[in-house]
Amino acid sequence: MSQVEVKSEIPGKVIRIEVGVGDSVAEDDALIMVESMKMEIPIPAPIGGKVVEILVADGEALTEGQVVARLEV
Amino acid sequence: MAFEDRIAEHKARREKALAMGSKRKLAEFAAAGILNARQRIDYLLDADSFREIGLFTVSERREDRDRSPCDGLVAGYGHIEGRPVALAAYDFTTLGASSSPNASQKFQHTRKAAAENGLPMIVLAEAGGARIPDVMGAQGIARTRSHQRYDRRRQTPWVTAILGPSYGSPTWKAAMSDYVLMRKGAVMAVSSARVTSVAISEEVDPEELGGWRMRTEVTGEVDRACDTDQDVLDNVKRFLSYLPSHNMEPPPLAAVPAGSGDGMRDILQIIPEERSRVYDVRKVIDCLVDTGTFFPFKERFSKVMVCGLARLGGRTVGFVASNPIFKGGALDPQACRKATSFIVFCDSFNIPIVFLTDTPGFLVGVQGERQALASHIMNFNHALEMTTVPTFAVVMRKSYGQAYINMGAHADELAAWFSADVSFMDPGVAVNVVHGVRQKDDPERFARLWEEVSRNTSAYDLAAGFLAQDVIDPRQTRDWLLGGLGIYERRRRGGLGEHLMSTWPYNW
Repeated sequence: MSQVEVKSEIPGKVIRIEVGVGDSVAEDDALIMVESMKMEIPIPAPIGGKVVEILVADGEALTEGQVVARLEV
Repeated sequence: MAFEDRIAEHKARREKALAMGSKRKLAEFAAAGILNARQRIDYLLDADSFREIGLFTVSERREDRDRSPCDGLVAGYGHIEGRPVALAAYDFTTLGASSSPNASQKFQHTRKAAAENGLPMIVLAEAGGARIPDVMGAQGIARTRSHQRYDRRRQTPWVTAILGPSYGSPTWKAAMSDYVLMRKGAVMAVSSARVTSVAISEEVDPEELGGWRMRTEVTGEVDRACDTDQDVLDNVKRFLSYLPSHNMEPPPLAAVPAGSGDGMRDILQIIPEERSRVYDVRKVIDCLVDTGTFFPFKERFSKVMVCGLARLGGRTVGFVASNPIFKGGALDPQACRKATSFIVFCDSFNIPIVFLTDTPGFLVGVQGERQALASHIMNFNHALEMTTVPTFAVVMRKSYGQAYINMGAHADELAAWFSADVSFMDPGVAVNVVHGVRQKDDPERFARLWEEVSRNTSAYDLAAGFLAQDVIDPRQTRDWLLGGLGIYERRRRGGLGEHLMSTWPYNW
């Protein structure tokens, strides 16, 4: 088992958190929704695994490359 | 010597060469469930079609002659599904398939024969690097020039499979290829982790240096990673099935699977009516194309730009599509590089291109500027200007600014879905920039101005100036593309493009 960091590929604002700690997710599942470029954009799971940590809150501004969650894979 | 003795000697020499190198390594391959070089060739080629060259080649160094069957490189010609190909397979069990003068000459002979005679070139790669001491010293390295060639004019398709540790020579071949596959666990790098660690005085992990995730996600130099040798080789065959054998013939036609196009009925369910909502354009492509024929390129690299081959009515086409589900469809420098490479590839092999557009624009920002976004946008545009194969564009929803130009404005024919929205920038951004009004400060005025700047941005506005050839219901898209392909066949040239980008740099 190892941990994988999930990063936001875009700057924007967190508008919704779609998963909770302990949830199992598949690759490309939406973890967190971000508003950017006038769009609601998902931050997808880069790989299937279990959510072990969520590091952002609703309404928080994100920078590109910011770590938003950790998965155990 | 009597003929009888000559026959016996010939047989013994053949058997020795066919037995490859280290028995211990051969056993290790078998134990790990990995194919060796000759098993890979057998798996790939039609039965009994392999015509080998250089079976009796060995090292040019006298002391290595007895332990260097084929000089570590098995090469020749054969057939895949009845179509001729040329190939070179590195034999890792022979001196680690290290590259050496005689093996390199064998490779160059094969690639030259492939280019001159119109055969796809296949490289099954796995090699520890250059052979030492052969390449040591001033003369050792300088002489490699006489048997290495690094120009490629895209006369025939090249596909490389990285099937083990690959350093130096096989990595160069991969970088020169149109499509690159990798078995998970293999490594592709300029030099080995050991050499790199010594050179930079730092421990280097091979996976980090050039493992499948790094090559498919970070650099995009590998198109696809698979779990087994067999999966990789099946995908080599699948890649070639879409392509002409060479650039002077059109791609082969295939039968249209039953049920193709049935998904068009439900395509509206994929597209959200709410303009700020995203969807996965790969689902749209799957509906449009002949069932199950989409074959992605660089699927894990710059996911916002989807590139891949597919068939429409049995014809090979290339798709270049922005994908709103990633980055909202905003295009970054890597997306430009991916699209440019793919356009050059399609144009070189007479493959019509379809653009599907839903993008809020190029992803502006400090990061993009630091990565030379402007240069990549122009390179992408230059490739489009030089394209001579038929091109079609479908504007699905939004297409703003320069990205509109890059994603379809060059096409032979363009259709806008009735949901299209085309302008210099998103109306919300325009109200903010042009009028200095933010929605949260003055929602009423914002809404009025939004209405104002949103005028003249519809599909019908585009069509009114003949800037779109048609406005279509999304459910008509497959038929619109099939009809277009039937007309834009470049009949006067026998279906061939002009190949103005045959010498375009690798990996752009």
